[in-house]
Order: sequence, then C-alpha cells, then structure tokens
Amino acid sequence: MAAEGVEKVSDDAPAAGKVSTRYDLEKETELRFEVEAGEAAEQVELELIVGMAEVFGSELNRNRKYTFGPGSKIAVFTWQGCSVNLYGKPEVAYVSKDTPMLLYLNTHAALEQMRKQAERDNERGPRVMVVGPTDVGKSTVCRLLLSYAVRVGRRPTLVELDVGQSGVSVPGTVSALCIERPADVEEGFSVQAPLVYHFGSTTPGTNIKLYNKLTSCLAEVFSQRCEVNRKASVGGCIINTCGWVKGSGYQALVHCASAFQVDVVLVLDHERLYNELKRDLPHFVRVVLLPKSGGVVERSKECRRETRDEKIREYFYGFRGVSFYPFSFEVRFSDVRIYKIGAPSIPDSCLPLGMSQDDTQLKLVPVTPGRDLTYHVLSVSSVEDGDEGARKSIVESPVCGFIVVTYVDTQAQVMKVLSPAPRPLPRHTLLIMDIRFMDMK
Amino acid sequence: MADQNKADTGESLYNEILSPSELFAARSRSHKVPVRGQKDFFPDGSEEQRQRLEQSLNEHWSLISEERVERLGSLVKGAWIPNDQVVELQSPAGKFWQTMGFSASGKQCLLPEEALYLMECGNLQVFYKDLPLSIQDGYERFLSSNTVGLQQYLVFGHLKRLGYVVHRFDPSSEPSAYARQLNLPQSSARAGRQLKRKRSASPTPTPSSSHTEAQEECTSVRMEEDSCSYEGEKDKDLPVSQLTASRETSKVHTATTSTAAEGRGSTWWRTDVLGDWGHRSDHSSTSGSSCWDFSSIHFPDLGSREHLPSCLASPDPSLLPGALAVGVCDTAPWRQRINLRKVRMSSKEQKREEDKRRRRRDVNKDREVQRCRNWAEYQELLVRRQSRRKGRPAHLWNREVMPLHDPTQPVSTGELLDKISVIKSTTLLEEASRIKGSDEWKISFNVYQPDSVADFKKSNPGKPYARMCVCSFENPVPDLRAMKLLAFQSGDIPVVFAVVDHGDISFYTFKDFQLPTDVYL
Repeated sequence: MAAEGVEKVSDDAPAAGKVSTRYDLEKETELRFEVEAGEAAEQVELELIVGMAEVFGSELNRNRKYTFGPGSKIAVFTWQGCSVNLYGKPEVAYVSKDTPMLLYLNTHAALEQMRKQAERDNERGPRVMVVGPTDVGKSTVCRLLLSYAVRVGRRPTLVELDVGQSGVSVPGTVSALCIERPADVEEGFSVQAPLVYHFGSTTPGTNIKLYNKLTSCLAEVFSQRCEVNRKASVGGCIINTCGWVKGSGYQALVHCASAFQVDVVLVLDHERLYNELKRDLPHFVRVVLLPKSGGVVERSKECRRETRDEKIREYFYGFRGVSFYPFSFEVRFSDVRIYKIGAPSIPDSCLPLGMSQDDTQLKLVPVTPGRDLTYHVLSVSSVEDGDEGARKSIVESPVCGFIVVTYVDTQAQVMKVLSPAPRPLPRHTLLIMDIRFMDMK
Repeated sequence: MADQNKADTGESLYNEILSPSELFAARSRSHKVPVRGQKDFFPDGSEEQRQRLEQSLNEHWSLISEERVERLGSLVKGAWIPNDQVVELQSPAGKFWQTMGFSASGKQCLLPEEALYLMECGNLQVFYKDLPLSIQDGYERFLSSNTVGLQQYLVFGHLKRLGYVVHRFDPSSEPSAYARQLNLPQSSARAGRQLKRKRSASPTPTPSSSHTEAQEECTSVRMEEDSCSYEGEKDKDLPVSQLTASRETSKVHTATTSTAAEGRGSTWWRTDVLGDWGHRSDHSSTSGSSCWDFSSIHFPDLGSREHLPSCLASPDPSLLPGALAVGVCDTAPWRQRINLRKVRMSSKEQKREEDKRRRRRDVNKDREVQRCRNWAEYQELLVRRQSRRKGRPAHLWNREVMPLHDPTQPVSTGELLDKISVIKSTTLLEEASRIKGSDEWKISFNVYQPDSVADFKKSNPGKPYARMCVCSFENPVPDLRAMKLLAFQSGDIPVVFAVVDHGDISFYTFKDFQLPTDVYL
C-alpha cells in the first residue's frame, strides 16, 4: 500500500461542503475506496481530473462526477497514471500498486486472440467459465472481461448462474444477457431484454437438479442464438458461477462446463479447485488459475442479504429507487395458478417402480394461496395460459417478470401484489420463490 | 293413390255441401289408423300372405281416399305463390300462427311445408289461380328439392304431430366460430329479423310495403349497423389494448413479455438484435469443432509451473481496448498469492473429498478421451459409455422398429399410458372449423320442445332443443367428416339424424364422450 501524492483540498468543495481529496495515481496502480454502509452514510463522489482511468473495465469521463451509494466498494485503476478527486468521506481509501490487472488484461488478450481466430475461421468464439469460492471477485472479473470485450467491438454474452447475487435480475434466478456496451460506472450493465429463468432460492443446493436443468436450458438457448447470430457466436460468453465449489456445487460446475461446452475455465484463487477441474474436464478445455485482487472484501451474510434486497428494490423502483413507479393491485386467487418447483422428498420405498427420487425435484407442486404467501417474490412464467399441455414446460420457460405479494386476504380470496406493470398480469402462471421482500423504504 | 283421390275431389267440387246424414256419418267415422302388423320380409307364395297383404293395402287405400270433412268457417284461406314458394294467407290465421308462418311486407305467409301440414290437419285451404288445391296437389306443388323434399316433409310432419315446434334451419343465423369463441352476446332479435328479411327477399318484391314496415326495416338495419360497428370497434380495440399493455410491460419489466409468444419463449432472444450481422453462417459453427491451439494463445495460468514464463510478454496492443500499450508482467510474486481465500471445510467433508480424490482418476488419462478433439466428440463418447454401462440390449434400439419405452428412463404412469394409446382420442369438434361445407349433408330443421309452445315466440325462439338432419336409409351412413361439419355448424346443440325408411322415421344421434383414464397427472 502506498498513499503518496495525497493532498487535502477542503476549501474548494463545491458539493455542499463535502470534503474533497485529490489522489494522484501512478501508472498501473489503483485507488480503492469503500463507502460506509448503512442508511445515514454519506455518498461519495468521484471525479477524474487528469489522465485516464477505469472502474472495473469501464472508462471514466473526465470532469464528470460519479456518485457511489452506501456500501459501494470501488477500485479506480489507471494504466497510464491519472489524478482523481474524491468528494465526501469514504470509510477507507488507499492507493495500491499490487493489482492483478495485468494478468486479467493478459487473459483478455488471450480471449481476444481466440475471438479473432474464430472470426477468421468462421468458428465460435471462446466460452469462458469463471469459478472460485465466494468473495474472490468472480463477478468483477466477469464485468472486467465483458467490458474489455465490448470495448474492442465484440458482443459477448453474460451468463449469470449465481442465484444468490445475480448481477442481471432479481436473486433466485439464472439469466443471460447480451452485452452491447460497457458497464455503467455506477449502475453496472444495462439490463435490456435478458433471458431469465426462475430458480426460486438463493443457493443452488436447495434444488441442484433444477439448477442443472436451468443451466442446460440457458446453454441450449445460447447455442441457438449463436447459430443465427454470428456476432454473438464470435463474442462467446462469460459464465459467472456461484461460490459453491465442493460436493454437488462442484458437480454443477462440471455439468455447466459440459452443457456450455466451455473452452476456458478461469479459476480464481483456489488451487485445489484448479487441479480438480484439470482432472475432471477433458484436455481440450484450458483451465487457468488466476489470483484474486487484494482489494476484494469479504462480505458478511447480512451484507449479502442487503444486496439481495437492494436488487429486488431496484427491479421495482429503478436504480437508487427513483426511476420506476410500480403498481399495486389485487389479484384474485381464482385467476392465477401458483406453483412451487420441487416436491419434498419421499423415501424411495414409497415411490412407484422405476421412478427415481430426482423426479420430484423438477415436479410442479400447486401452492394453495394463504397468509404465508405474504412478502414472497413470485415469478410470472411466460408459459401460455390455458394450455394444459404446457404445464410440463413451465420449469423450462423463461420468466416475464416478478411480483411481490404484499397482503393476502383469505376471506375475499384475493392478494395484493406489487407489480412493475399495471393490471392485468401478462400471464397467470406464477412460481413462488423462497425469497421474501418487504417493501419498507 | 292418385286416381281415387282426384276423382273424389273432383266430385266434391260439385257437391261441396253435404247433407246432414253425410255430415253425421263423417263425424262418427272411426278415426282408427289401420294396424300395420308384423313385417313380412319376403313373399312365401302362400295364399294367406297374399290375402293379408291385400287386406292391408285396401285399408290404406280407403284411408287415403277418405273424404276430409271440415267446417268451412274454420278453414283459413291462403293463396299459393309459386314464385316465392310461399302461401300467402288471405283470411286471419288461426292458433297455429303462434309457432308457424312469418310476415313479410305486411302479409302473413306460410312456408310450403307448414301449409301442407296445415292442409293435412284440415286447418287451411289453399287456392291457386282461384281454385282450391287438394292435398295431393299440395304434395306435388309444395314439395321440391329446393324448398323441402318429401323426406324432409315426412320428418317435419312427424315431429309436428308429436307436438314439437319445428323451424327451418338457417346456417347464416348461427354465430360464427369466432363469435362463439368470443362469447359475444347474441342479439337474438337481430337474428330473427335477419331470418325474416331473408325470406321476404323475394325475386319480385311487393311494392305495397307500408310505411311503418319500411321504417321498422330501416331501424333494424341501423341497429345492425350499430352492432356491426360496435363489434368492429371491439375487434379493433382488443389488439390495441393488448399492444399498449405489452409495450408498457416490456418497458417496465426487465424480462421478456408477451413477445415470448412461442412456447419456449426463446426464439425472440435468438433473433439477430444487432441487425448488421444478419447473414447466417452456413458453416456449422456451433458444432464445437473448434480446436484451439493453446500453445500460441497465452493465458497467464499461474497453475502450470512449467509453461508459464516468469515474465509475461506484453500483449499485442491491437487486442486491447483503447489500443493500450502495457509492459511486461512479472508473474513470480503472484504465484505466492494463491489460495488467499480459505474455504472452510469440516473434517468430515475434508475426509470425503480426500476419499473421492483417491478414487477418482484423471479423465484425460483415458486414451479414448485423449483422442477426442472437442466437446461434441467427448459428449458422444460419454453417451456411448453410459449406454454400454446400463446394459440395455442395444440391438433393440438400432433398428427401425424400436421398443415403445426405454425401461431405464423414468416416466410417470400417465405418460406411459399416453404412449401406449396408439390411437389418440379426438373430440367431435376437433379441427371441424377447417372442414369445407358440403351439399350432401345439411341441417334442415330447428326443433323446439313441445312444453315450450305456450310461451314460444317466433321472433325470439331461443335455443333449439335439437337440430334435425334428414337422410334416407338408402343413402350412405354419414362419415366422420360430415358429422364433424354438422356438429360444428350446430355448436352446442345436438344434431339428430332423422333416417327415413319409406314411411318409418327413426332418430339417431352421435354423442361425444371421453374414454376414462385411470391416472390424472
């Protein structure tokens, strides 16, 4: 850690008396700062004064103030050296010379080389899976690589398999998103028309069979897209996985690699996982071990739960809760069908001959609406109404959107829901999540 | 049959007025219809049979030739108008007007089959060119193939005698399949009027239509237009509102909305959103045939000690965003900084992992795996191995005729039963809308139940009890196509086939039913 060139200039604070701190960064160093978490915390603003800098692969504009809310953990990296101003009082702020950015950049260069070759030989581009334990910066590496790829004119696809901390949609889903521009420094990737599947829980362990099934679904749709869209095919995909790397979680990783037919696996900071994957994946898959960045902070359980809540709030109210205005209306029980995916397990001896236990994990169980439905997040399945034959495909159908049950009236047989769109619901097949959301702010 | 009857009517022209004794005789005449008895199927040449036949025939002849005696005052007068194929009433109609007849341009008219039936009942006397028609004349003149044939009339008469209200069926008055689907409120008054006008649309329209009638016509037309435009509006309205709704939802929902009309809802996602790369590669780029040469593509893999140079060469600026030029990278210090994040494991878990590791062997040690060059080949190999391991008799599956079900595949009982049912069950209305109409089979009559006669309204007949399709025993049995067609035309009202065997009429109907299934899933 080296904090040279820091000088406090508190007198010319334009933003309502906020403290302004200037940092002069040398070439290939980064400024890391964290904004205090909590309601009362002050926002921190960042401004690039001289030179060029980037935040997780997205370049900063000069003389524009970027605002970061409570709980943000930001690293401003510069390749050539720059000066930035921080307004406000961050919890921590320091300059570090020790960043693995060069290694990540080299990784990007190698992937870009593969894309070039794919373009030349009319092949498909690299499909990359990023694995590693929790809190090693998997999502950040994904964002970095995607932003770099977009900046050199590619159209890669982000496949988000982290059901706990989804970067695309609400938690409890797996999704795919076509990336067409670098991530916004404040908001992240712009979410337009993602492909979202309902999983229903924040950890793949609750229904590993369903998790693998959805992985296969995404892989199939992505392959179909590659077939018709050459640019998407060359761009390849970057798969973000969840941090569960042992037991069934590991099996899920191997399954994902096989379903997506990945070419490169990036293992972050976990040598044993690296060795296991080398052993269990065929030789033509390149497994690469990369270090984690020293700036990565471990998140507590509470912190994770808060991010999840924030993500759901963002879905309904927009970024920082100001751009969208959700609707609240009543839905009659008789108008909707609510299902939960996965039946409770039954002893094998109770099953019909030839049925295996695994089947129950993909089974649809009708949910009788009751008071315990309150605050649950429900996915609106895109399956056609009325089509009884389609019931089987509900599991494999993408999601139209999400609603939250805010109040259940068992007497009148209605429930009040929070919905991003006015009534009526676009479809009437609802899938219940384990995740609850209380609309308190 | 003809001669005697004609002679009789000829005679009665001259002595229409009967003497009291003759009238009394006619009154007290037995009204019994001769019994037909058992049917003989072939002549056995015996005298007994011949006699029996002759007697029966004589009884019938005498019944037909019998003079119909009615009070002149109770007879309603009508005139046959051959051009319009209707009988126009010239004196006030009787009680039958409640269920029969229609008014057109201020006149009360009867359809030929109604007129004939009333003639037979002794309620109506029809004149043609100012001469009364006999019943036989009625049969000859009124029944024709373009109005109502003899068979249809027999059915009509039979049902009327049983007390049913029978009307002609007009296919155009039925709501279309689309209207039925929308469940539009059927304005029955309108349908009735339409029916009326259709009938009154004679080739020679009578100019003597009164003013009020014309006005009524006019309003009805306007009403129709109104309702039409209303329907039109509704039609227009529907998709628009849907559209706006979907636009709004797609704006707010971050996920897919009604665009995902396809079952899987994935096609929209596949389509080329970029546009500029529309061309589709004929090359099978997704087959995974790519074979990357990783010896020329340098990943900064910290895991491989031997391949990673201690100093990474700076990457080609053309590959980097913003044409960055960066220096070399020393990898040595990074090797020390691996496994910084500890994964906590319980001792039990650790043991299990250890165990697994010992048992597990490197997939790449296998020679067959080494030979695979890409995922497609590898996955094929795995499938091959798995099927071998499962030990299902492979020879059964590589022929053209395969077993219906693979016992290793778990399916539910319902699915299995579904597989076994080779002939799928169908409903009568399935795909019926696509069948073109035919001339051979058509519905002739709407039949209303006798108990509804008391409050029956011709202008608003309500829902028929059944619909009659008249056919003969000589004709072929209706095929599935005809049945589907008729069932579709009739909608939710059952179609009854009235089968005429010379004089005898029998009724048949086809009912839709579902085979019971044992398992509901």
